[in-house]
Amino acid sequence: MKRETPESGTGYASRTTPHAFVAPQTVLVVDDEPTARIALTARLKRLGYRVIEAVDGKAGLDALRREQPDLTIVDWMMPEMDGPSFCECVRQDPELLTSQILMMTGHDQPEQIAEGLARGADDFLSKAASKYEITARVQTGMRAATLIRRLRDATEEIRQKQEALEQELQSAARYVESLLPQPGIILPGVRMVHAYRPSLALGGDLFNIVPWSDDFLGLYLLDASGHGVSPALRSSSFATFLRRDSLLRHVGSNDPGAILTEANKQFPLTETGHYFTIVFASLDLRCHTLSYATAGHGGALLHRRSGEVCWMAQPNLPLGFDSSTSYVTATLPIGPGDRLYLLSDGLYEFPAASGELWGQGRLETTIQALGQQPLETVITETIAEAVRWQGHEQFPDDVALMGVEVAI
Amino acid sequence: MAMQTKERPVPNGVVLEMTGDLTYANREQFKTAVEAIRQKGCRHLILNMADVRFVDSSGLGLLALVSQNFKLSQAKVSMLKPQSYVREIMSLANIQKLIPVYDNEQDALGGQSKAA
Repeated sequence: MKRETPESGTGYASRTTPHAFVAPQTVLVVDDEPTARIALTARLKRLGYRVIEAVDGKAGLDALRREQPDLTIVDWMMPEMDGPSFCECVRQDPELLTSQILMMTGHDQPEQIAEGLARGADDFLSKAASKYEITARVQTGMRAATLIRRLRDATEEIRQKQEALEQELQSAARYVESLLPQPGIILPGVRMVHAYRPSLALGGDLFNIVPWSDDFLGLYLLDASGHGVSPALRSSSFATFLRRDSLLRHVGSNDPGAILTEANKQFPLTETGHYFTIVFASLDLRCHTLSYATAGHGGALLHRRSGEVCWMAQPNLPLGFDSSTSYVTATLPIGPGDRLYLLSDGLYEFPAASGELWGQGRLETTIQALGQQPLETVITETIAEAVRWQGHEQFPDDVALMGVEVAI
Repeated sequence: MAMQTKERPVPNGVVLEMTGDLTYANREQFKTAVEAIRQKGCRHLILNMADVRFVDSSGLGLLALVSQNFKLSQAKVSMLKPQSYVREIMSLANIQKLIPVYDNEQDALGGQSKAA
């Protein structure tokens, strides 16, 4: 094997002229035959390229990794690692595989060209090629290299932006979750447990409690139509409206119907047709009543200690559909051991693999079957049963479930 | 399932024959079709829902939006023959308060008060 200076891969960088604004493009020449390599190098330098030389395939791979040239010209015939084997190594290496390779050969038979291309070369250059052809082929290779580089830069830029966006979304999701209430005792004798499973990073479902007084409590669960950032923003704005001080100022009442009637005016249909459904309930421990109003929201049920289940839905327009709608409060008696469940339609309007929806009926049967087991178990097991029905963990829509147990 | 729409002129209005699902994925198609009809000055849009299998919450919002936009143009929207599941969704959201539902075209055209 012939070895001579320059040492493997040592580059001769052509000096850039002081007025050159753009760094010259780089060509790596891999050829064990010194005369041919030096001649080609000289020719390329005259064309204005920076040239790196390597005396065999292995040194060529090292130089490719180190210098990241725009174009590599490799000789077919070399000892140990020939041109096609060099190309195969490049194509198997994730860091190198987009390199542009021109294969040089003395005998350009069609079968040989086909084999070279099949094993990873991008183009061929005959050793007998005229300087015009060399110039043209090298320029073609450079054009391809430039396009590939631009594509790679653009992909990297997109990846970075995507990463930044995902971090933003996660931080927004943490904010939305911070709006959710702490589970536990929410009034003396009243306990709350919840589950929250947004379909994307950010959910449009929100629920909370509104502490009116020591024995009087507001509860709501709202569902913004759509998925992603916009419903999450709309929901958090609605949640701000539903804070105790805001309700006292804007509605001047803790009556669920009055609250939804005002909210209907405050939150009209968006220009893209998005809206809220909501259930708002007030638990009065003094009078042992549950008063509530709903707006296009089917997800609210009372599971009595006796086992009886009572859905609280009223056929009502969602918020924002018609500004003249009045929402009316309904009242139910409530007693010790009764449990109230507020939920989003994402917990029953989802299909099994067969396409059949789980539906309110199966949800009701599940909750009924779990009976008077601890509230935590009912919440966890209801979600688990829904997951079993659809056959996977990821719900197509946001899922929220809030359970409230009255002990006194 | 994608949505296909076809317009059919009737006396004093347009019937929009809809096939497929009225969902978030198909919202642009539905909006474009309906908006084109409204721009032409249609006085009465009749949505034929007989071949619509599913309406999701976005679809419901679009129906409300269409009803509001037509009202602003002094025009009206009716709905024809929704399938039972779709009808259930509509009635839970009380949509018939905004968009009357009919079981046949003559009643829809006549705007009979005996809405289904």
